[in-house]
Amino acid sequence: MYWHILKRDLKRKKTMNVILLIFIMLAAMFIASGTSNMVKIVTALDNYFEKAGVPGYWIVFDDMAERDKYKEFARENNYLCKFNETITVSADNIQAGGKKLDYSNIICIETLKSPLKVFDSQDNEITNVHDGEIYITTSLFNSGKNNFKTGDKIQITVNGRTRDFILKDCMKHAICSSSVMGMSKLLISESDYQFFKEGKPGLLWDCSVYTDDKEYAAKLSKADFSSMTRSDYNSIKLMYIIDMVAAAAILLLSICIILISMVMLRFTINFTMGEEYCEIGVMKAIGIKNSSIRILYIIKYLAVAITGALAGFIFSIPFGNLLLKNISQNIIVSGKGSYIINFLLAMATIFITVLFSYLCTRNINKISPVSAIRNGETGERYSKKGFIHLSKSRIAPVLFMAVNDILSRPARYMSMIVVFTLGILLIIIPVNTINTLNSDNIVELFGMAKCDHVISQEILLSGSGTGVENVKENIDKVKEELKKNNINAIVFQEMVFKSDISFNNNRMEVMAGQGAGDIDDGMYPYIEGTPPANCGEIAVSNVVADYIGANIGDMAEVQLDGKAKKYIITAVFQSMQNMGTVIRLFHNEDTSSKNLTGVMGIQVRYKDNPGSDVLSGRKKLLKKICPDEKVYSAGGYVSSMMGDITKQLGGVKNIIFGVVLCINVLVTVLMVKSFIIKEKSGIAILKAIGFKSLNLAVWQTLRIVIILVIAVVLGILLSGPLSSLIIAPVFCMMGAYNIEFDVNAVEVYLIYPFAVLATTSAAAFLVSKGLRKVQVSQASNAE
Amino acid sequence: MDKVLEVKNLCKTYVVNKRQNNVLRNVNFEINSGEMVAVMGASGSGKSTLLYSVSGMDNITAGEVRVCGEDISGLSENGLAKLRLDKMGFIFQQMYMLKNLSILDNIILPACQSGKIKEKHSQTAERGRALMHKLGISDIADNDINEVSGGQLQRACICRGMINQPDIIFADEPTGALNRAASGEVMEELAGINNEGTTIMLVTHDVKVAARCSRLLYIADGNIEGEYALGKYTGSNKLRERERQVSNWLMEMGW
Repeated sequence: MYWHILKRDLKRKKTMNVILLIFIMLAAMFIASGTSNMVKIVTALDNYFEKAGVPGYWIVFDDMAERDKYKEFARENNYLCKFNETITVSADNIQAGGKKLDYSNIICIETLKSPLKVFDSQDNEITNVHDGEIYITTSLFNSGKNNFKTGDKIQITVNGRTRDFILKDCMKHAICSSSVMGMSKLLISESDYQFFKEGKPGLLWDCSVYTDDKEYAAKLSKADFSSMTRSDYNSIKLMYIIDMVAAAAILLLSICIILISMVMLRFTINFTMGEEYCEIGVMKAIGIKNSSIRILYIIKYLAVAITGALAGFIFSIPFGNLLLKNISQNIIVSGKGSYIINFLLAMATIFITVLFSYLCTRNINKISPVSAIRNGETGERYSKKGFIHLSKSRIAPVLFMAVNDILSRPARYMSMIVVFTLGILLIIIPVNTINTLNSDNIVELFGMAKCDHVISQEILLSGSGTGVENVKENIDKVKEELKKNNINAIVFQEMVFKSDISFNNNRMEVMAGQGAGDIDDGMYPYIEGTPPANCGEIAVSNVVADYIGANIGDMAEVQLDGKAKKYIITAVFQSMQNMGTVIRLFHNEDTSSKNLTGVMGIQVRYKDNPGSDVLSGRKKLLKKICPDEKVYSAGGYVSSMMGDITKQLGGVKNIIFGVVLCINVLVTVLMVKSFIIKEKSGIAILKAIGFKSLNLAVWQTLRIVIILVIAVVLGILLSGPLSSLIIAPVFCMMGAYNIEFDVNAVEVYLIYPFAVLATTSAAAFLVSKGLRKVQVSQASNAE
Repeated sequence: MDKVLEVKNLCKTYVVNKRQNNVLRNVNFEINSGEMVAVMGASGSGKSTLLYSVSGMDNITAGEVRVCGEDISGLSENGLAKLRLDKMGFIFQQMYMLKNLSILDNIILPACQSGKIKEKHSQTAERGRALMHKLGISDIADNDINEVSGGQLQRACICRGMINQPDIIFADEPTGALNRAASGEVMEELAGINNEGTTIMLVTHDVKVAARCSRLLYIADGNIEGEYALGKYTGSNKLRERERQVSNWLMEMGW
């Protein structure tokens, strides 16, 4: 009997059952792929590092004597170390597709002798490199305007020895693929490597240290080696923070679509149960037991849920992989392998559906047969439904009806408001993050003062031979040229020294920044304290202050070139440079005799607050003054330093935007179709009294538009606090404790909301046109 | 006398499971301005189909239907909607109203949508209240539809049908869902409206309802089989006599 009723029900209420099936399928797909991605993302870096064999510590030496000193230190302490020799090459000596390479970080050539395993773009381990083939790390592959493609011809010259290579693929290198690392690697064959080595090039040595010794860091610190860079396992992980921002965005998307699925599932089951009440009433009236009626409906939902969940499980695999693919090209987030999680979650969807249907059918016990026949309403309701009256309004009837419907039954539209608001938040939060990373204000978080233009120079290039005097000469040259062109500007540059700071036996390797040129320390922002105003005064980052346990007013010891000097800490600032491990020297502190580790670009700040047109003209002029350098806006300079980060986040943003639009359209189509079925009699009555189909389609669409407008307003209002809650901790991990999000009002308040509004409204209108099929004579089917 | 409705050779055929069902076969009749015509017949004779066909609520298979001189078979869906909005009123057996609107808002909705009478919503509301007052339901204007009785609701439906000052009102069993007292009240209101000049065509089984009409049409097997002129209903004092006449005629028709 049950089977017979179920079969008839599935046939008769085909549209509603198909809608229910689609919702369950989508819910299963989203829940399965979302949760499975969450698990993969959370464990992604650890799994990748384990696969690649990332050591506990990684040190790069640029001096053979220092390397040998360290070898001795490791031997004495029984530390397992593996050294890997690499050849340094300047970007100027690499031609890609006939053009000079556009890249400003360190580039090293290595072979497969490295203890670290490397992987190609398909996440397969690279085990063999033929002569004439080359792999390049993803950060370089995706950086700047090089537009690398596999098969490109790359010519490398090292100390006068030139060889041509064919680009085989990009390479995922667990340490150097991070955009934050500032070092890229080129992988070539052993014989090609020997060809360059015969020309006696500059060499670097990577040292991978495998130890469980908790005292290692302290011993290394006391041993006083000079290394180019040293990182422990956790700081290597931290370098992938931006990749993890992209992953977090997908994680956020996954969580949101799970929430959306739950909301939609609950809505659909409630909505379809509402359709059943009349029949429930008849069954109760003829004496069928409540439990039997409930079982009948639960079996129906179980049957639909099993079908939907199985389809959802199948679709969840490509959908989940599509999202994972866009997280990062720098790390391996395995989308392959076991789909047990997807299957279990699809099964969980069946359980959730049956649970919801069990909860929704609880009302069967409470209501009388007559109440059920009256579609669940008792007919004895005294509360008012509408708060507005057509007689007192001046708006068109269709708009009035749309507003009145929402006000009369807010609960019915709440699920749509939740879904649309989540969608808007999913778009706005990544947009705010990307705009913040691209904004001109971001330079202040990279140890630089605000400026209008930056003339690019080598960044943090060890042993570049650039002295403090050269820096000042270069600044003066730019200043002179600007003066010749009657441009009133201040010109300055940020110098960086390798250093370390200690306080109360707490020692930390840091980068010491110092402004050169027309700058004073008041031009940098500080969280607290006063800028260093005298020699012997420094400002420290909050990361450094926390690590060494020092406060404003404390005397800390700073080592520059092995010479220690006591400084008083006068201010604390935040910085994402060197993951926040930076201090700032007074700009007049004498550093002329110190070895400069590197310089940032030459910064130009115009005194006449020029508009965008003038700025663009001056950019061209600067390019003329410095033909060999690149000229950036402040934000553009930081973007170029961070490599493909913004491009990568932009890709994730586009994926999220696409997914949100698809979800909105799907939800809208299914809900409007449900509304038309539910309101068939009302539509017929309105047609009977003379409403055109077009008017009625506008009425249905206006309801969606109003809901969307509410969702957009809610999304915009919530985006500020939620951006701080979700994204600010990521900036905090990089050293910026107190980030102010750059909100592009046109983009956030206009372009994206309008795109969502237009797409969803168009979908609603097209589906609403389906009410043309409702015949006037169907008014007689009205309840 | 102006012809409000002219029906010539009207046919309506339904195809169910590839079988033709000729519900209306060459129906011909006219309704003049100011008349109140009742269509009677046994269940399944085609009364409601006739009403829906001549009011443009359902498509016709063949024939010609003219409402106020306009051939509705040639009208588009939008044209039919405009005709229903401006020139027709419709009263259903069940008191169909929109659940989310108050009684007054339901009544004035067609007028606000139409724009036939240029006025503000507040002025339309005044006209709506005046109609409600006339039909004795002015105290339920701001109520929800499920807070009032069936009789009150049907009178509200009559007000809605009247609000656009239509040329003709179609009523499908207007008292079918009402008790005897409410039924009498509603019919008195409809007769009163007719006496003021509004043309009415209704479908009924009820002799008491038919007795208030000026002319009766009897339909059987999709054809008008007979016609009976009762004359204008002027008051309830002659109702018994009219009911007797209707009953006798129906017996003659084989009711």
